[in-house]
Amino acid sequence: MTVLEIKDIHKSFGDQEILKGVDIKVEKGDVIAILGPSGSGKTTFLRCINFLTETDSGQMVFDGKTYDMAKMNRKDIAAIRKKTGFVFQNYNLFRNQTALGNVTLGLTTVRRIKKKEAEEIGRSLLEKVGLSDKTDLYPSQLSGGQQQRVAIARALAANPEIIYFDEPTSALDPELIGEVLSVMKRLADAGMTMIVVTHEMDFARNVSNRTIFMENGVIVEEGPSKEFFENPKMERTKEFLRLEDSRGIVK
Amino acid sequence: MTLEEIIQLMLDSFFKILIPGLTRTIPLTILAFSFAMVIAVICSLIEYAKVPVLKEIVRFYVWIIRGTPLLVQLLIGFYGLTSIGVKIAPFTAAVLVFSINEGAYCSETMRGSLESVSYGQFEAGYCCGMNYVQIMRHVVLPQAFRTAFPALGNSLISMLKDTSLVSNITVTEMLFAAQRIAGRTYQYMAMYIEVALIYLAFSTILTKVQKWGEEKLNYYGGA
Repeated sequence: MTVLEIKDIHKSFGDQEILKGVDIKVEKGDVIAILGPSGSGKTTFLRCINFLTETDSGQMVFDGKTYDMAKMNRKDIAAIRKKTGFVFQNYNLFRNQTALGNVTLGLTTVRRIKKKEAEEIGRSLLEKVGLSDKTDLYPSQLSGGQQQRVAIARALAANPEIIYFDEPTSALDPELIGEVLSVMKRLADAGMTMIVVTHEMDFARNVSNRTIFMENGVIVEEGPSKEFFENPKMERTKEFLRLEDSRGIVK
Repeated sequence: MTLEEIIQLMLDSFFKILIPGLTRTIPLTILAFSFAMVIAVICSLIEYAKVPVLKEIVRFYVWIIRGTPLLVQLLIGFYGLTSIGVKIAPFTAAVLVFSINEGAYCSETMRGSLESVSYGQFEAGYCCGMNYVQIMRHVVLPQAFRTAFPALGNSLISMLKDTSLVSNITVTEMLFAAQRIAGRTYQYMAMYIEVALIYLAFSTILTKVQKWGEEKLNYYGGA
């Protein structure tokens, strides 16, 4: 079953075209890794499909409806966002809310779920990400890895059809990356549909089932992850993977 | 007068000064500051959300108020209005002028604090499906208020002291009471020092309250 389809999305900032016609089709349970050098447009792509950045043109098919992405109204955007989750590079937790409050705020305000019930859901989600002992702490009292796991629990709270991850481990100290990736792997194993913009080659290779390589606003190559890594077809992809490999060795 | 007599005079006049403090200075401060907060929140939100036309009106208001002396504003608010036939009680005029004056300063404080909340908080809220109003109410305003709190506390303390200016428009507050006794006894130094000490006591209490409030609000490690 197709969860999300994006057709021919274009986006420019000033006279610089960041996205030059990107298509993507996401099936239920897909975990799609988007790789690419910085400036390739992968973050912009993710922000466009959750309408954090306005799109110049493109089509979206989501939840059985087709949308013209350049002409979205507030109601449609809200309806789509209610069924999607977003995890930011720098977490963006609500600073005035506890870990539990971060997870439940959307439930109590948007979904109008009773506070007690929302807290039950919140606690079980925080348990899922291994933070059941941190529910009452504020973001400033949590490590980066813990904050990002709260952010993942928050994204899960809406029971979304799909979760977008925008470089979820890029702001983390190396020793904290593992805890976030393992939570993401568990989600993937549980069948969550995910699009992950990342620099983590191991995650792309071993957890995602499809990998997309973007550069200069277009998709250079995409395919099943196993094939993508073992047998890349494009010269540019091979070069990128070689470069990432040598970086890995240095690490 | 001997020193004993002066001390006796200060003791005798203590309640004569304190009572106007409790019946005039404190109510004036509380009333005006409350109205000022309402004005400040509304004006700062208008500026923050860049509401067309209203935003210009707010800027004009802040420009006028910050550019003119408070004493002149008080004189306009009472003698000025009275002279053109507007019937207004001195205390009412004082509340009005202080509300408008303090509202302008506090709206700037609030605006700065609102702008210090990162845009990422909005994006996170939108991604949770929340709308602008919900994000403002549950996320941005509480954080902005936390940031603004110390500065607002300072404004409150300085306003408390500035209320001594309303003796100029015949409100019988503490300074007015002290001046009356001084005029009768010629003990200006003693009376002014006494009234200064009472202001000091009031300010000290407010400073303590501010400290306590800051600690209460500091639960999440500040902004």
